[in-house]
Amino acid sequence: MKTFVLPILVSALATFIPRVIPYWVSFLDKLPPLLSRMLRLLPVAALGPLIFPGVFLDYVPHLWAGFAGIAAAFILAYFKGGMILPILSSIVVTYLALLFGA
Amino acid sequence: MSKRDLTFSLGCKDGFPIFIGYFPTAMAFGLVVKNLGLRLWEAILFSVTNFAGSGQFLAASLIGSGALLAELFISVLLINLRYTFMGAEVARRLEDGITGMKRALIAHGTTDEVFSISLMNPGRLPASYMAGLELTSYAGWVSGTALGFLVGLVLPPALQLAVGVTIYAMFSSLLAQEFRKKGLKVLLIAAISAGTHSVLTLLLGVKIGWSFVIAMLLASFIGSLIIREES
Repeated sequence: MKTFVLPILVSALATFIPRVIPYWVSFLDKLPPLLSRMLRLLPVAALGPLIFPGVFLDYVPHLWAGFAGIAAAFILAYFKGGMILPILSSIVVTYLALLFGA
Repeated sequence: MSKRDLTFSLGCKDGFPIFIGYFPTAMAFGLVVKNLGLRLWEAILFSVTNFAGSGQFLAASLIGSGALLAELFISVLLINLRYTFMGAEVARRLEDGITGMKRALIAHGTTDEVFSISLMNPGRLPASYMAGLELTSYAGWVSGTALGFLVGLVLPPALQLAVGVTIYAMFSSLLAQEFRKKGLKVLLIAAISAGTHSVLTLLLGVKIGWSFVIAMLLASFIGSLIIREES
């Protein structure tokens, strides 16, 4: 049976390195402002490709089922905040969309 | 907030809302990796060694698409670079005399939520408080992963497919919260990276890991040019 230990540990290393560096080294105050702004925007820039095009492709042939779900989550998170309610609502909406063939 | 005694148990108490927030997301993660073919102990190993929301979901989708280890390493590293900034703040606020292994463990537990909650306290942060806060969050993440995996064994396929939307829902909730805090520029940056990634992978056949890296760097570069003020 295929083992996933190696990629799991590679991912762990790629998580631990950026986490542990600032506890020993302080260089962040010395970065040029453009680079510093760019690094701070990385998390937001990551959200786009984490959602698209996967949210469509995962649900072929029901192309819009996943999208309907995340639209519900987006609206709820925007107006109500939090994560639990938006996530639960997205499951319900996607399930209904799959049932009724969106 | 009046002056609070930053003990281990107060750390646990402050960590409880994080536990509640992590649990369902971690369940979704457990479910996703079960469907990728991981075994239960591998799913748990994943959450124990990584302890990172978006990083783990990204790693899982890259593993699922058969990405190279180098692609995996660089993509996950980039998405986790934010921890370097968060860690720099937390490290500055730690009490003196926290060294070696303790420092490394505190670093491993620095997530987005741990970062925000710990820095709400005025003054210096003792290791015991950080341990309580981080262990409680960690417990939510790891136990949620295990339960999600087990639930995946009994959930009917249609419902599993619907639960799979959870990852995307998590990211879209994060996007909505950023949008509310920082305005339209957030949506613009996300749209640039989403568009780039879609074009690269669907039309140009670029491998998903590299495409992700290119899309992320391009969008944050354009963003850093158009956004002048510090957020």
